[in-house]
Amino acid sequence: MPQNEYIEESIRRNGRRFDHAERMRKKEARKAHKDADFAQKVHGLRAKLYNKKRHAEKIQMKKTIKMHDEKNAKQKADDAVPEGAVPAYLLDREGQQRAKILSNMLKQKRKEKAGKWNVPLPKVRGIAEDEMFKVIRTGKSKTKAWKRMVTKPTFVGDGFTRKPPKYERFIRPMALRYKKANVTHPELKATFQLPIIGVKKNPQSPMYTQLGVLTKGTVIEVNVAELGLVTTGGKVLWGKYAQITNNPENDGCINALLLV
Amino acid sequence: MASIYNFKKIAPVPDAGDFLDIVLSKTQRKTPTVIHPGYKITRIRQFYMRKVKFTQDTFDEKLRQILEEFPMLDNVHPFYADLMNVLYDKDHYKLALGQVNTARHLIDAVAKDYVRLLKFGDSLYRCKQLKRAALGRMATIMKRQKDSLSYLEQVRQHLARLPSIDPNTRTLIVCGFPNVGKSSFMNKVTRADVDVQPYAFTTKSLFVGHMDYKYLRWQVIDTPGILDHPLEERNTIEMQSITALAHLRAAVLFFADLSEQCGYSVREQMSLFESIRPLFANKPTMLVISKTDVCKLEDVGPEERQLVDAVVKDGVEISHMSTYMDTGVIETRNLACEKLLQQRVEMKLKGQQVISVLNKLNVAQPARRDTVDRPVHIPEAVVKRRKYDSQDPGRMVLERDLEADGGGAGVYNVDLKKQYMLASDEWRHDVIPEIMDGKNVADFIDADIEERLAELEREEEKLAAEGLYDSPEESEDEEDRRIRSLASRIRERKQIIAQESRINNIGRSTLTHQQKATAGISAPEDFADHLRQLGLDGDAAQATAERITRKRQRSESRNPAVVLAKRSASLAARAISVQRDRSTMGLRDAHQQAESERIKTRALRNMGSMGRAGEADRRIGTKMPKHLFSGKRGIGTNNRR
Repeated sequence: MPQNEYIEESIRRNGRRFDHAERMRKKEARKAHKDADFAQKVHGLRAKLYNKKRHAEKIQMKKTIKMHDEKNAKQKADDAVPEGAVPAYLLDREGQQRAKILSNMLKQKRKEKAGKWNVPLPKVRGIAEDEMFKVIRTGKSKTKAWKRMVTKPTFVGDGFTRKPPKYERFIRPMALRYKKANVTHPELKATFQLPIIGVKKNPQSPMYTQLGVLTKGTVIEVNVAELGLVTTGGKVLWGKYAQITNNPENDGCINALLLV
Repeated sequence: MASIYNFKKIAPVPDAGDFLDIVLSKTQRKTPTVIHPGYKITRIRQFYMRKVKFTQDTFDEKLRQILEEFPMLDNVHPFYADLMNVLYDKDHYKLALGQVNTARHLIDAVAKDYVRLLKFGDSLYRCKQLKRAALGRMATIMKRQKDSLSYLEQVRQHLARLPSIDPNTRTLIVCGFPNVGKSSFMNKVTRADVDVQPYAFTTKSLFVGHMDYKYLRWQVIDTPGILDHPLEERNTIEMQSITALAHLRAAVLFFADLSEQCGYSVREQMSLFESIRPLFANKPTMLVISKTDVCKLEDVGPEERQLVDAVVKDGVEISHMSTYMDTGVIETRNLACEKLLQQRVEMKLKGQQVISVLNKLNVAQPARRDTVDRPVHIPEAVVKRRKYDSQDPGRMVLERDLEADGGGAGVYNVDLKKQYMLASDEWRHDVIPEIMDGKNVADFIDADIEERLAELEREEEKLAAEGLYDSPEESEDEEDRRIRSLASRIRERKQIIAQESRINNIGRSTLTHQQKATAGISAPEDFADHLRQLGLDGDAAQATAERITRKRQRSESRNPAVVLAKRSASLAARAISVQRDRSTMGLRDAHQQAESERIKTRALRNMGSMGRAGEADRRIGTKMPKHLFSGKRGIGTNNRR
């Protein structure tokens, strides 16, 4: 009855088969060919998975090779000062690089000032009303069409009271209501799941703001109490704005960037 | 083997990456893959929902399988629970399984959320994105289980290689310091083939071997050596021995090496015995002095001797053996087995189970009737008879002895005829011929066969004479003949009737149009005659009939004025509509009318008494049957009918 480390025990007692080393060597040598055969033959999903794996392996391999190469090769110092005296017309060569950066920065600043919204996503895609709403036909023979259902995620505050359902014009489905958002703090480079307090502005239309529709680019107010941020005056901050950076209706979650 | 403790059947646990590949490729293989944006949105949603749900199901099934297959520490025997705790750390094990369970719940929640979102997906792109997000989140949850899964896989591999020890059967446990000859003993008494080496801790885990004693199956457990230090300082290898000692109800064989070849002094060995003595409580324990070929108990110094003697008390027995010389090994084994067997029987007698059996047993002892002594009667011949002894030269000669004398089995031929009981003993070996005097001997086994045959024939003749075999005579009397002829006449008549009716039927069904036309027409005279027969005056009727049916001759011309006048008069008469009572129309006379009235009232009586609507009542059915005016269509084309 085999028990415990019986395989190792058997190898220790009886040794391996006499051609074990040779077989291993051959197997190793054949492996590249076998892999190549497989790579050519495989198709479909398995091919996709295999190629991805192989790709990662190759990258790793190249990196390793490069690392080994770097160990041996001599490096050229970038900021090596040319020895000896430099002619006057070459003296300001270094400064030019910096000047360019400055001008770029200026441009950037001007651009930022020009924008009305100083937010990460200054522009949004327009959303037509028929994409936003689904017409619900009412009446006994479904002839009336004044009811609308919002087909995008929405935020509905705690204090919201419904109108009588018969007269309610806009329906915000329970399944598409969100209470929390994954908010990234750009400086801390950390993401927190924070409760949403309200919708500050939906750039699409003031009506959407009123309805609390959450689309890409919407500015929401989030509860940052658990982050423990304080103002310069020393007051604890608890409400802060954040802008939604993903398409919540496609992803099933809300990712936002904290506006600091 | 104890099938409950078979851990070899746990399915391999794939690592997180493989797990994902398995599940996702199963989804790809087992769900439809072709979808077009032109399809109805409900179909698109359904397509993607199915993918999400299927993936969740697969994850659920796989994770549930892991949870079910791995043994629950609370449900297995405490020996295994403790051994697993020692080997794999109970907390870690429970945590890993708990995390797998949490992952399962999380995946279920994700699937539920995204299926709900998919119900509002309004385009193929959106549905696809949602599906992608759902599978992605499931994959993320699964990737976080990487460590748990790889830990569980290692545990599985180790579990499968654990010796299958049945905690409840008869067991001998071999324990002691390292290198005192435990494994050598094991190899001697069982076929386990444990590795024996001249260094400490050769055996690093529990080994089990099996042997037979008294036709019973025994297991011998070889444990790794244990050192003499506190429980907290013991390492995993030693803890396995301690676990086995603590939880198995077995005979314990504590091995001691008095020669001190193992590197530990006698004092150390005896102090170890004392320190683990609590583990030997309620177990038959033996101190086995091994390696007696090198050093016997008599050879040791008085100090050591004293130490050993101090240990051997309250039930601990001492035994000597040498596996090298092969002395005392079997005796040691037998002694241990006997002690354990005895103890197990005692335990069984104390237990509850035996009571139920004992209650069924009743040894009846008759009460003494009187003072007369009635000893057992043994015939004198039996008492005198010599007891059979194979060594005694004057013993009874058996068939077996004869066989041995006659050349042994296969050569000796048994004489079956020597015990025949015949009139004369000399006839025993006579040959019986098959044919004698031209007759078969077998036919004459019955001595009076001829006589009996003659008797049979006589009986036959007698029966034949009495007429037993005669067939009854064919006799027909007058009565029978009459009935027979009558029956044939009836049959004939029936045939004729059948044929006639068949002919009539044909005639009726094939009436020509001509026949039909003239069938109902009768002459006015016939009509009058019929009336007269009924006792009515037929003259007026005949006159009217003749007038109506008379055909105008060609010669007779008619005055148009007269004709017109006649017509107008008839028209005027027609203007007053004749009121006829339909209820009496088909009735012949007043008598018949009264009769029909009577029948009608009788028929209506019941109906009226129960206040029910009759067939003549005006009835308005449901104007808008519910089933025709409400409800949605099953196929969903309408939500109204």
